[in-house]
Formats: sequence, C-alpha cells, structure tokens
Amino acid sequence: MAVTEKELQAKPEPSCASTSLSNYLWDDHPDENKWADCVHCGMCLESCPTYLETGQEQHSPRGRVHLIKSVAEGKLEVNEQFMDPVFQCLDCRACTTACPADVDVGGLIEEARGQVRQAMPLTGWKGTVSNFFLKDLFPHQNRLNMLGGLLKFYQKSGLQNVARKTGAMKVMPEHLVQMEAIMPELKKPVQKRYKDVDVIPAKGEPKARVSMLTGCIMDVMFSDINQATINVLTHNNNEVVLPKNQTCCGALHVHAGDRETGKKLAKQNIEAFKDADKVVVNAAGCGCALKEYPELFRNDLEWKEKAEEFSKKVEDISKYLYDTGYEKPKSPINKKITYHDACHLAHGQGVRHEPRQLLKDIPGVEYVEQPNADTCCGSAGIYNITNPEMAGAVLERKMENVPDDVEMISMGNPGCMLQMAVGVQKYGRREEIVHTVQLLDWAYQEDEKNGIGKSSAQQTIATGKE
Amino acid sequence: MLFAKKKKKIDGDKHYVSLANIVGETAILYKKEDLVSYDCDGFTIHKSMPKAVVFPKSTEEVAAAVKYCAENKIPFLARGAGTGLSGGAIPLNGEVIISLAKMKQLLSVDFENRQAVVQPGFVNLKLTNSIANKGYYYAPDPSSQYVCTIGGNVAENAGGAHCLKYGVTTNHILGLEVVLSNGEIIEISENGIPDAPGYDLLGLLTGSEGTLGIVTKITVRILKNPEGKQTVLAYFDKAEDGSHAVSDIISAGIVPAALEMMDKTAIEGVEAGTYPVGHPRDIEALLLIEVDGVAAGIDEQIEEILKVCKQRNVREVKVAESEEERGKWWANRKTGFGAMGAISPDYLVQDGVIPRSRLPKVLQNISEISKESGLRIANIFHAGDGNLHPLILFDSRIPGETEKAVKAGTACLKACADVGGSITGEHGVGIEKIEEMRFIFTDEELEAQTKIREVFNPENLLNKGKLFPTPSRCMDVKKVIKEAAAN
Repeated sequence: MAVTEKELQAKPEPSCASTSLSNYLWDDHPDENKWADCVHCGMCLESCPTYLETGQEQHSPRGRVHLIKSVAEGKLEVNEQFMDPVFQCLDCRACTTACPADVDVGGLIEEARGQVRQAMPLTGWKGTVSNFFLKDLFPHQNRLNMLGGLLKFYQKSGLQNVARKTGAMKVMPEHLVQMEAIMPELKKPVQKRYKDVDVIPAKGEPKARVSMLTGCIMDVMFSDINQATINVLTHNNNEVVLPKNQTCCGALHVHAGDRETGKKLAKQNIEAFKDADKVVVNAAGCGCALKEYPELFRNDLEWKEKAEEFSKKVEDISKYLYDTGYEKPKSPINKKITYHDACHLAHGQGVRHEPRQLLKDIPGVEYVEQPNADTCCGSAGIYNITNPEMAGAVLERKMENVPDDVEMISMGNPGCMLQMAVGVQKYGRREEIVHTVQLLDWAYQEDEKNGIGKSSAQQTIATGKE
Repeated sequence: MLFAKKKKKIDGDKHYVSLANIVGETAILYKKEDLVSYDCDGFTIHKSMPKAVVFPKSTEEVAAAVKYCAENKIPFLARGAGTGLSGGAIPLNGEVIISLAKMKQLLSVDFENRQAVVQPGFVNLKLTNSIANKGYYYAPDPSSQYVCTIGGNVAENAGGAHCLKYGVTTNHILGLEVVLSNGEIIEISENGIPDAPGYDLLGLLTGSEGTLGIVTKITVRILKNPEGKQTVLAYFDKAEDGSHAVSDIISAGIVPAALEMMDKTAIEGVEAGTYPVGHPRDIEALLLIEVDGVAAGIDEQIEEILKVCKQRNVREVKVAESEEERGKWWANRKTGFGAMGAISPDYLVQDGVIPRSRLPKVLQNISEISKESGLRIANIFHAGDGNLHPLILFDSRIPGETEKAVKAGTACLKACADVGGSITGEHGVGIEKIEEMRFIFTDEELEAQTKIREVFNPENLLNKGKLFPTPSRCMDVKKVIKEAAAN
C-alpha cells in the first residue's frame, strides 16, 4: 500500500534498518539520503549517453532518481515499466561528474536493480543464461580457465576458421558475431603461470610490495595485460603478490541487481587481500567496484568497516605508478595515440591525468586528445550483450569522436577494449586497441633489447607528482 | 536477439494512437512510469502529470501534433530540457507535452553575417562550443547553459552572468520560425534581418513563456570573442561592503561583462558541491567580476576595480592567473543552484530585480525574512544588474516547510517590488510567480496583456495557467501548492 510522506516522516529509520520502504519490499532498498541531495536541476542531462540517444527524461539521471524516489513515495510500483529505465542505465557514472551536488546516482541505480531482481527474478532462458554467467561461471576461476582452454582450442584448432567460413556464425545474433570476430588471442593465465610463486621479485632493489587483482575474465581473455602489469610493476622495483583466494570483483553482479552474490564475492576478496598494503588493479570496472565495497555493506556495520579499510588500499595501476614514481622509457614507440577514458576510471575513480601522463612519457608517442574522451563506449560490463541496440548507438557516437589518423587507442579497462575493438571492426577502421600498461611494457622491453639496463636508468626515475 | 526487447503496440486512448501516427511509435510516452519524469521541471514544488509526451523530429511534426491537439481540444505545451525554475513546463491541465529534445541540430552558421540558425532543442553551450574554434561565441549564458536549450531560452528570455554587458536573450534573437496554437507555421524576420517594420513580434514572442506559440527554428546573433578578458575574485567580511563595491564599480563608469555576488550561505553550498574553489567560510560576501573587450583598456579597469574593492574594506582580492583558474571560479558559480542539494534537500529560488543602489537594504530585508521564516536563505546573484536570486532552503519532508518556503519567496519578491523593482529578471513567471504579478501590475494591465495572448492562443489550450493570473486560476495554483505542502 502507498505510504504518505507524513507517515514516512513519522518513522525515521536507522541506517542499518532491515525493513521495506513503501513500495520497496525488500531489504537493502534504495537509500533516501542519496536522493535527498538531488534538487532536479537537470545539470546531468547532457552527460547521460542514454538521454542523449533517446531525448527522454526517464532515461536521464535526474529522471531515474525521480522514478526511484517515486516508488519510495508509493506513487509507483516495482514493475516492468519501472525496470526499463533502471536497467537501460549504462552505469557509466558520467552524471556523478556532472552533478553539482554529488548525487550518487550509480549507487541508487544499483540498489533499485536489487529490488527489481527480487521483485521480478529473471525466469526462463534469460534467467538460465544470467545465472550461468553470474553464478556458475564468473565466480569460479577453474571453470573460467576451462572455458578459456576451450576457446583457445577453438582458435588454434582451425575451428574458428571453419566456423567463419562455413557461415555457422550467421545463425548468431549480430552483436555476438561482432564480439567473436574481435576475440583476443588467448594466453596462459598469470594465476597458472605463477602458481608456485609467492612473491614475484622486483627487478632491482625492492621499494614496495603490492598485491594484484588478476580478475576473472581478465586472466582468461587478457592474461597478456596481466603479464604486462606484472612486468611494469617489477620493472619499477615493486614485488608483486597474486593472492590465490581472490575472486571476481562482483561488479557485474551488482550491476545486474544480484547484490547478494556481489556481497559474497566482496567478502572473499576482502579476506583474500587482508595482508596486502596495496591492491593494484588494471581493470577500471573492477577497481571501481572494489572501491565501492563499503556501499554494498552500508547496512552491515561489521563488514562495512572491513570494506572501508580494504577500499582505501585499492589503486588503479596508472595512478599507482604515477604516485610512486616510474621509470621513463628511453626507446621510442613511434605511434600516434589517443586515449579513451574508461567510465569507471574517470567518473568512478577520478583518474584522468595519470594514464595520459604515462603515455606522454613514452618517447616517440604522438599523443592526440579525442573530443569527449570520457563518454561511455557502450561496453558497460555486459551491457553490450544485454542491451545491444543502445550499446551500439553509444558506440557509434564514441567512434565518431576518435580522430581519423591515430594508430592506437589506449585505455584502462578490458570491457572497453573489447567494445572499442568491435567499433574499429564495425566501422572499417584500423586503430589498434591497447591497454596503457601494455605500451609501457613494450617500451621497457625495447629498452632491454637495446641494452638500456635497469641500473643506468635508475637515476631517471620520475615521480609523477611534480 | 539475446535479451533484446520486443516492441510493444500502442494501447489505450485513441489519442495515443493518433499522436503516435504523427510522430512515430517510439516517439511517444503515455504510461504512468514514463510520464512521472515529466511531472515537473526545475521548479519542483508543484507536480502534475501530463497526458502524454511526444517527441517530434521536425517542424512539420510539431505542427501536426499541435493541429491534432487543437482540433481535439487537448491542452498542450512545449518543453526543452526542463530546467526552467518557475514551472513554465509543468503540465497543470494534463497536457500533451511536445518535447523538443529530439530537434537539436545546429542548422547553419553564417560567420560573415554573424548569425547562426538552430533548432529549439539545441543546447545553449553547444553553440559556443561549435563556433569557438573560429573565435566566436553566443553571449547569453544562463547558469544552466551546459544543458538548457535555446528554445527554452527564447521562451523565458533567459539571462545569465554576462548579460550585464551584452543583454539578455531577446537582444540576440534575429528570427524565429513558430508553430501557432492552431498548427499554422509562421516565420518572423525570415532572413535574420533585425528591426523589420511593423510590430516587434520577435520581442513579443521572446519571453512569452510558451503561451503564444512553439518556436521551431531560431536565428541568433553570434559575437566575436573579446580581445582580452580578466576576472577578479574579491572577499568581503561584511556583505554591506560588497554591495557598496558593486554600486561603486558601476558608478566608476566600468561596465563589467559580469558582476556576480554570493553570500555566506551560498558559499557554504558551492564549497560543499562538486566544484569547490576553497573560498573562506567566514566571509559574508564574495564578488566575481569579469571585464572584457579591447585588450588595451582592460588593465586600467582592473586597477580601478581593485581600488574600489580596497576602499570598501575588501579582505582579499585576486585576479585569475590562468584560464584554468578562471574556469574553476565560474564552474563553482554556475553550478551554484544545484550545489545547494549538498546542504539542503530542497530549495526554492527567487528571481527579483532591484535598482542596484538598493542592494544593501534589500539584502537586509531578505535576511529578516530568513529569520522570521526560520529557513536559511542563500544569495547567489547577478549583482551588476540588480538581479537577485535568493535561494530559500527547505526540506519538503518536514510538514509545513514547503508552505513556509513559498511564503518566504513571496516576501522576498514583495521586498523587491517595494523598492521599485520587479519580480523576475530571467527565470520567468511560470506558475511560481503568477500571483506576485499583482505586485507590479494592476488588473487592467493584466487584462490588456491577456488580450494579446488571446490573439495568438484564443482557445487557451497552449500552456494554460501560466504567466498571467486569472482570478480563479491563480488561487487554484496557490491552493494546490498549499495542499501539497500540507500533505
């Protein structure tokens, strides 16, 4: 039943309450304090990719906040029509950057999704597919590795060629065909490679010991980036630990409204990194999720405290290098490069300057800034699979902004890399998609090949902070 | 397709089907959940649901939708970004909202004749961004310029920080294409040639708050960037000193491009927001002053401004050292209204205009109104042209506070009218200040203006209940607001 504002007022709830809120019938409902900051000024509108695409305010940040609030006020119910705008959001957080009052729209959306999923659990084949990925696959590294093995077999055995040539791909939906086409070549996961190593040694005199999140998909699909991250860290005199019990960060689960699995994974990671001083992450989406663990436990004081302590230790690789100093490579990479801000790096973690500086410090790199570098590419976790139409439209805008004559697009998030690779392929472009640390790693490798040893380079260690 | 949704057929009311035939099935909203976002604009005290929202993509579609509404006696109104602060786009009568958000093209730019043609949904700041590389800009700069549309600017005759020197929207409109309330399309000053003979229809339409027609194409004046620009930030221990400095600067013969003021509560808000500058918290007022023009004279003007500030006991005064610093100061100022969300759940912003010389007295009055109402009032305003923006901070969840805020707002406007000022400088009357129109107009004057509306909008289907009070109407609106507050 609808509850009037007066009644709401009459029963103030402690922050750890486990009650329903008007038409939000489940625990962990959207947080009133978050929408209390929104004065409906509309400054968020132009930052929102889905609003720009549709022109419709229910698909804008302030519209979504208004909807979420309306359910709490009893004006609306959690139903399919409510679900649409709440799930159409890319979770890109551009509105958080634009908002004058710092309204946590992203947090509200995730909380609302939690309610939707409990009110209307996914059924039928959608439920099966979603459960398979979120519950049966991502949290289990061994199963992911097995899938990785199968994919590797698919690539190496010639089956991929057969599938492409025989037109077997034609029965797949278009966006999945596009994804298949840009699948990176799979290498051995670093968790396997360093299975018996407790601490990967620094190349020189160790200055710090850092722990690294190896990620779920990251270590299967992009283990080369994980390797590059390890190389760059050890090159700059960091010892690297890959805690064995770590798991998927849970970002995709939280985005999808499965907050319970999200919490379970969060707890496991908090435990796994208990002894770490620093948790270095090379995937913006995962880093942002780790930093936001406290929000997940806002009604659980014990874990909230642990999560807060944990999240302080989390750092994106580019920011970690920038803050602690890194060696400027000597050998040139003669490429024209532009940088794409992953949403969860720029809007989610406020990391914008650091990766750009890393690129600019590589000799030979001609850096070109792209217009609207910090607008979403449409990847947004698995959004490009769940909302292919909107993701495609957002990608098109993104690709229009990539300067014509660059040779590489650098970024700090695997999801973006896949999506941008789809963009490059779909629009007949030629840019190579790279992770920022890969470029740094390549430059260091060139240095080694050219005999520019570590010792001679010692003096040129730059602390990014000047 | 995996997870893709099936398109659903339009169901319900026959009008939905007819309107969908005009604009397309994906360009109409009619379900409750989709319409909630349209129950208010930037003025949130009053909410009311529309019948539907349509998204035409061309003038012809606008005209067809209007014609359909007119023929079927369905009330309707136009909406841009919905950032208006006086409720001009709130559907009081279950209107069909004609959203111009999809008509957002920059149609042409003519640098030789210094004019540009835009569709109404084109965002204000985008115009400047599109022509900046050629050294041009569009002068009217409402604080919401990052998102507000030029169509909406025309409806409200929007102002902005830099309108002190360059004039408000009406001074920059050269031509309009308008869909009249019966669906007829007319062009006013087709080629953007100003001062056509006959009545000044451009002037009449600009600022008519969507009650005379729906603008579908706008020719605007663009300006060459000034050769030089300098920005000054001054902190005053006493608000009174700051107010006097404002008058002194203008009296010294300087016409700054912008002359903005913020008081202590406002500073608390902007510093808690997303773009803090690090203003001291214990000052009573700050001034943000910008001069621009021919490079040669600028240094002298800055000298003069610094001198005036010192004479008025300024605590600290500084000139922006870089474009970056200048940008920071302006971002802090321009996001000021929204930043109030960081210190208060709701606000009501007023928009009074007063003679500059009465600034100290009116600020004093506002502070008394704040004490009497028990509500905090922040002042962020265009001090140079005497355009006040008292922001009344309240919490609508506390019973009675909304009503108190509305009352305090009225009292602020009364204080402005009493010193010979006006009740709105740039935000429009909408529904918010409809009753306060009586502070400055007699019944006869209001009736004369209503007659003009009747020429354009004889059935009063277009944005009914806005701008002018009718004896019953204004009572109704205020009553609804009071009832909402009581609930």
